[in-house]
Amino acid sequence: MLRLPFGLGLIALLAASPVAAEIARIKQSSGIALVERGGQRLKSAPGLQLLAGDKLVTGKDGRMSLTFVDNTRFAVGPNSQVSLSEFQYDRTRQKGTFLTRVDRGSLAVVSGKIAKSNRDAMKVRTPNTLLGVRGTKFIVAVPE
Amino acid sequence: MMRLRPSLGLALLLGGCATSSLVLLPDDEGSQGSVAVLEAGGKPGQAVIDAGNSRTKLGTSSPVTRPLGENGLKKQEAALLTSLPPAARSFLLYFDQGTVTLTPESVLALNAIKAEIAVRSGPEVQVTGHTDTIGSEADNDRLSAQRAEEVLNWLASQGIDRSIMSAVGRGERELKEPTVDNFASAANRRVEIIVR
Repeated sequence: MLRLPFGLGLIALLAASPVAAEIARIKQSSGIALVERGGQRLKSAPGLQLLAGDKLVTGKDGRMSLTFVDNTRFAVGPNSQVSLSEFQYDRTRQKGTFLTRVDRGSLAVVSGKIAKSNRDAMKVRTPNTLLGVRGTKFIVAVPE
Repeated sequence: MMRLRPSLGLALLLGGCATSSLVLLPDDEGSQGSVAVLEAGGKPGQAVIDAGNSRTKLGTSSPVTRPLGENGLKKQEAALLTSLPPAARSFLLYFDQGTVTLTPESVLALNAIKAEIAVRSGPEVQVTGHTDTIGSEADNDRLSAQRAEEVLNWLASQGIDRSIMSAVGRGERELKEPTVDNFASAANRRVEIIVR
């Protein structure tokens, strides 16, 4: 009897692990908007769960918006290629690291808990610049 | 002549990227954060951009930042900001000592949580249960998980899809109000619901 509550507690704690694979969720999308994952191309739609390594691709009328598990928010503009290259987040300690690549197009960002957790824990790379995000709202644009 | 070519090639290569730009804005609470240029054109950078409502052309280690000025944001920039998702919202519910019974005030708050989930597109709900320090750690792990499950089950009974929700218990590990062990605290007997 004494061991039963402990076991149950452990199950409850472990239950969080499969969810940890999800790093963000699509909130809105319109026009041509795809998620490239490995060799797959998934159509972007509200509720789609995103994983580290996913690449967001929009066509000339395409848009997508998403919220990450650390509360970071993204809006991806038309004609864009944005890769969620690295994302690690410890929900309990609210710390992590986050690297996004903007190869083309435009990205609006409202940073979340990762950017607050450590200096330059959140980075954004464009073809010519590496930015360290120190808790803020901004737009990065990379014309073709 | 021999030396011109590589630099010309490089200039052409970088030509497309040279116009990369950053628009820095105050955050929604009105405070101003900053962005550091850690690398530019393959070289380490040290510049910190911290002027709100400014535009910076990226690509050099000491980029020039200018105020947005009268013209303000470009049309496509304003449209991009409009399409940002709403900020995550957090709710707290409180429980009677040692139980999964919500306090009367918290029962009244349930509908607001349901409504917040309902208005969102592609929502995600994260439910985290906590206890005070009365009882053993193991018992509190179990109780905190049960509290979180109780809230999740209620939301599910109201038609919220279980697949968008997750529940975990953190026992007495994250006290809202720091206390000694075996101390009854109404503030610590809580479930936090984050709606994204």
